Amino acid sequence: MSPRARATLQRCLRDPRVIGGGLLALLVAGLALFAPWLAPHDPQEQDLLSTLLPPMWAAGGEAAYPLGTDTLGRCILSRLLHGARIALYVGVVAATGAMLLGTVLALVAGYFGGWIDWAIGRLVDVWMAFPPVILALILLVGMGAGVNKVILAIVLIDWTRFCRVIRSEVLVVRRRDYVAAARLAGFTHVQTIVKEVLPAVTPLVITLFSLEMGIAVIVEAIMSFVGLSVEPDVAAWGVMIADARTTMNQAPWGVIAPVLAIFATVLAFNLLGDGLRRALDARLVTSRGEA
Amino acid sequence: MSRIALQLLFRRTLLAIPILLCVSALVFGILRLLPADPIAMSLPPGATAADFEKLRQSFGLDRSIPEQYVIWLGRLVTGDLGTSIYFRRDVGDLIAKALPATLELVLLGLVLGVAIGIVGGLAMFSWRGRMGEQVLDLGTTGLMAIPEFLWAILLILAFGVALPILPFIGRLSPELVLPPPVTGFLLFDSLVTGHLRVLGSALWHMVLPAFALAIGVAPLVMRVLRSSLLDVIQEDYVTQARLRGIPEHTILVRHALKNAALPTISLIGVQGGFMFGGTVLVEMIFAYPGLGNLMVDAVRNHDLPVIQAVGLVYCVLVLGINAIVDVVYLAANPKLRVA
Repeated sequence: MSPRARATLQRCLRDPRVIGGGLLALLVAGLALFAPWLAPHDPQEQDLLSTLLPPMWAAGGEAAYPLGTDTLGRCILSRLLHGARIALYVGVVAATGAMLLGTVLALVAGYFGGWIDWAIGRLVDVWMAFPPVILALILLVGMGAGVNKVILAIVLIDWTRFCRVIRSEVLVVRRRDYVAAARLAGFTHVQTIVKEVLPAVTPLVITLFSLEMGIAVIVEAIMSFVGLSVEPDVAAWGVMIADARTTMNQAPWGVIAPVLAIFATVLAFNLLGDGLRRALDARLVTSRGEA
Repeated sequence: MSRIALQLLFRRTLLAIPILLCVSALVFGILRLLPADPIAMSLPPGATAADFEKLRQSFGLDRSIPEQYVIWLGRLVTGDLGTSIYFRRDVGDLIAKALPATLELVLLGLVLGVAIGIVGGLAMFSWRGRMGEQVLDLGTTGLMAIPEFLWAILLILAFGVALPILPFIGRLSPELVLPPPVTGFLLFDSLVTGHLRVLGSALWHMVLPAFALAIGVAPLVMRVLRSSLLDVIQEDYVTQARLRGIPEHTILVRHALKNAALPTISLIGVQGGFMFGGTVLVEMIFAYPGLGNLMVDAVRNHDLPVIQAVGLVYCVLVLGINAIVDVVYLAANPKLRVA
């Protein structure tokens, strides 16, 4: 590792946002990974004799159901833990896909310029005319519902978030002397892009990736809330909120628990992204967990 | 409005046409991938194959996809948006009813969000370098981690269920009747026709949904305003104003805020677009009869004519708000006025 890279890494690890967000993200990831061993019950297991139980610390709660139960007597804690797996699966896969597609198009557009840049730019313009949620709904109607379709929809929508920001950075990098030097030294275009341009924009890509994971978690929650993501009996956070919404006045905890889970997960990725952005001194990126 | 502003508006409108054409083709193409048959879903159980074929023909679904698109586009230009498969009503009528409700909600949410954002941004700026700024900064990060639809649910939980003081279903109290439509905008119509109880009830019903949308915008406005105030405050004219003995808060409000407003204005352009997206779930959760609710109903019932028309309307709204923000930006920025 070069001294400069080590200094950058140290700067990242000193930022309280990076540490806080990173630890929180690791916690959520750990809970998701070990959900089958941590969960006290099977997430689908129904106990129709103890429906809508309050959490264990409230009056009438039972220790067997630490966070209470839902309308079908399913353990909220167990569903929450298993829901984390879906949230993180979508978060990681969708953000990776959007990052790959967006970054490749940005590198191509920014590096080669000309008509390719023009064409990709117009494509971004068309995409930007949609509120992301609307495009996601239309895509999911066309492709059919399902959690992998949600991932595909996020990739097909959010590549623009990467493309726009990274392209303008590539435009700056391309004019640097070392890029010209690489070409003079006999590097092909592909070599120049991969060895010279890509490393220069990597900090920005990492920052955007972290923020995109938060966005993807929210989009999955929205889509499972309206019933376009996982099967209705699967424990996803959006499904849990939609189910518990009807009994909110008797058992508010059924709504509050998944809302807190989404909040904690998105907060972790946003803090991480925010901290990395400051530490890596990347171009200011405004982002919103909004689709 | 100045000539340059008009020119800009004209150019933006011209640019919007090819974008909307691409958008419409894209939406149309995606929806034709649909694995399920929307007609089959809308038929009663005892329908025969002949009924099915007749209905398919009446919706034009028996033709090829490019043909369907050209027919749809041709009708669209004449203002005919087709017939809803699920509601069996004219799509144009459905949209004309829902659009004003959404626009009112977005406007109220935007005003509320920008107001909170400006106050918060000024507070963050005045407390710069102190504890208060750190707390607010962390607060904005926290607020941004909760999307609008979760705010909607949390607000209902807090002010509708736990502390039942605000209504959270629909647009009006059930005992009230709608005033005669003048423009279709309920707030405006009830005001001009003197139905003040309707006006009050409608505003009361909009408090929670508008607030849910506002919390989505406010933290970003706060952050952008704070950072542009930090830039502006180092300018020479601020130092000069200080030397003239003008009090700090007067400098802030009279001079700095005006100049720091520009990045905030362009942010609103971006956020306005996202906000229309945010209304979709917020409207659904509050059973507020706007475009978003219509869209969700249409999506659930595979009502293609409604989905493609409403999708297009959303894109027109986004492009429209971007054009308006550009013009406002131009009007607010004297540096751009001499072209």
